[in-house]
Amino acid sequence: MKTLFKLAWRSLWRNKRRTLITISALIFAVVASVFMQSINRGSHEMIVDNMTRFQTGYLQIQDYRFENEPSLDNSFYYDGDLERELLEQDDRITFVLPRIETFMLAADEQTTRGGFVFGVDLEKEHQFNGLKDRLVNGRFFDDRERGVVLSQGFSDRLGLSVSDTIALIGQGRFGMSASGLYEIVGIMDHPLPDMNSRTIYMPLETARELLSAEDKVTSLLIGMDSDRHTDAVAANIGHFLEGSELRVFTWPELIPELLELLEFDLVGAYLMSYILYIVIAFGFFGTILTMTLERIKEFGILISVGMARLKLAFTLFLEVFIIGLLGVIAGVVFAWLLLYYFYLYPIELTGELAETVIDMGWAPVLPMSFAPDQFYTQAVIVFFIAILIAVYPMYRVIRLDVISASRS
Amino acid sequence: MAVIRTEKICKVYNPDTIPVHALKDVSIQVEKGEFTSLVGPSGSGKTTLLNMLGALDMPSSGKSFIGDVEVTKLSDKERINFRLHNIGFVFQHYNLIPVFTARENVSFIMMLQGVAQKELLERADELLESVGLGDRKDARPHELSGGQQQRVAVARALASKPRFILADEPTANLDTKAAMNLLDIMEKMNEEQKVTFVFSTHDQRVIKRARRVVTLVDGAVHSDKTTTPDNTVKE
Ligand SMILES: Nc1ncnc2c1ncn2[C@@H]1O[C@H](COP(=O)(O)OP(=O)(O)OP(=O)(O)O)[C@@H](O)[C@H]1O
Ligand SMILES: [Mg+2]
Repeated sequence: MKTLFKLAWRSLWRNKRRTLITISALIFAVVASVFMQSINRGSHEMIVDNMTRFQTGYLQIQDYRFENEPSLDNSFYYDGDLERELLEQDDRITFVLPRIETFMLAADEQTTRGGFVFGVDLEKEHQFNGLKDRLVNGRFFDDRERGVVLSQGFSDRLGLSVSDTIALIGQGRFGMSASGLYEIVGIMDHPLPDMNSRTIYMPLETARELLSAEDKVTSLLIGMDSDRHTDAVAANIGHFLEGSELRVFTWPELIPELLELLEFDLVGAYLMSYILYIVIAFGFFGTILTMTLERIKEFGILISVGMARLKLAFTLFLEVFIIGLLGVIAGVVFAWLLLYYFYLYPIELTGELAETVIDMGWAPVLPMSFAPDQFYTQAVIVFFIAILIAVYPMYRVIRLDVISASRS
Repeated sequence: MAVIRTEKICKVYNPDTIPVHALKDVSIQVEKGEFTSLVGPSGSGKTTLLNMLGALDMPSSGKSFIGDVEVTKLSDKERINFRLHNIGFVFQHYNLIPVFTARENVSFIMMLQGVAQKELLERADELLESVGLGDRKDARPHELSGGQQQRVAVARALASKPRFILADEPTANLDTKAAMNLLDIMEKMNEEQKVTFVFSTHDQRVIKRARRVVTLVDGAVHSDKTTTPDNTVKE
């Protein structure tokens, strides 16, 4: 075994330059595909992050009917007891965030527009998603005030601004009509473009009163120490809620369309990666091919003097394995260094792109993902390709005709 | 019992296209301790016959025995293992593993045989000394002259303690001095350790030193002469 390894290792370095070039190609493949992944996933992470923070949360509890029929009839009772009980289910739960969400018509003297009303606990909401920092004009409401904060896009559409009055008309619980006049106390910038054109924030208590939903909420967002625990925490809560009319939803269940869209968006990136892999695979195969062919005679001698074909095949496998391993490990190190560099010194964005990113509530830098799994998935793929290519020299020596090999 | 025995071996290359009858009913025996040379014009079948004797290739018809083993009945895998334990080979060139030192080349065979590390190193050193390369043990093949490389090859062939050693034109790439030196070593091993040698050659100087000369012409044994110690020639 030691001798076979020695044989493989030395054979590998017989042509130093070629081996180094091959390893460099593998490094390049890993670095390039990790980098592409990082950029793609970076923008996706940004979208998902905003989506979960401002809209769904990573985990959400709803009445089981609410998903199909998002009316106040499907709201549920919430108090300090429920909060305490939920917090007790799992120590990774950091807070419970109550919300009332409903669709209402918003009108001034001339126009009427549909909008989403969010009744929120401002302090908690702020802790969760930094809501107060999104204010662009005026102020946020006090706890029980009859004041609302409009998203900027919405206020533009209605042509209303701070200290104007807005009329809200909709339906409360059990078909009660809900309507009232509210003062616009502030304008905020919603990071999700879609939501920016139709969001109205008001205090939770005010919303409850308007909608005849005292002590009710339509959803509870569950905050956790890390979103990686989503599934585990969901399982615990699910257990707790068993037998009640409440259900817990994870974010992929809450925004499946968005995830599908993001998946679709990744197709291009995957295609690029595949092309890169194919190019690298052919280059690598070329090296292994010449490396094999120029040594056919030597292989013939080795089998002639009594080296078992499988032993020889194993030695050749070792050679490819070592090249693959060196390339991939070095590739991961370089990719890590590169991403770390961009983590410290992000690529600054300018122009329209920068504005879009700022609008989404992020710094104007190219969003990149630093998720650790992208390193090893790319590394594993490249390594797998390398190993697959090892089949060729192995096949050659298994089938090698000793006589013609020594005549070649 | 003969070390090697063939019975009416025929070898036809390309039987389906343009058949080449490389060997025609060759029946020969090699006894232990022989120092035999295969001669004949180019294309007469020397290499082909050596391949049969060394269980490297299978005849188209006929049988071949090494000791009491009918090697023509063995599978490819069995023949490889049989060669490892029974036959030593010296080829014309590309003999050695280029990335291994002389010592590693010699011990490699023993490693394949599963000889213990300590014994294998001692034996490799002994063998290299016996071929006069005690001071070049750590040299790689490309650092050695052609003659030195062939001597390492002989040491390697001996390493496995084979029943006999086959050499296909071992001196073809060597100058006179190196060729004679290699022959001296082979002869000495033959005399002192009763190592059986069968080698092919074109070289008159080498032929002269063989004790048995088998001449092939057109794939058939043309003559078979043995020089006895008192220098009489027996046909
Ligand atoms: N693999 C092969 N395919 C077809 N014909 C072959 C093959 N090997 C050898 N021959 C033919 O068989 C005959 C004997 O060849 P062989 O190599 O045994 O001769 P040789 O005596 O060793 O010649 P040389 O002195 O040139 O080495 C020749 O006619 C050769 O062309
Ligand atoms: Mg020949």
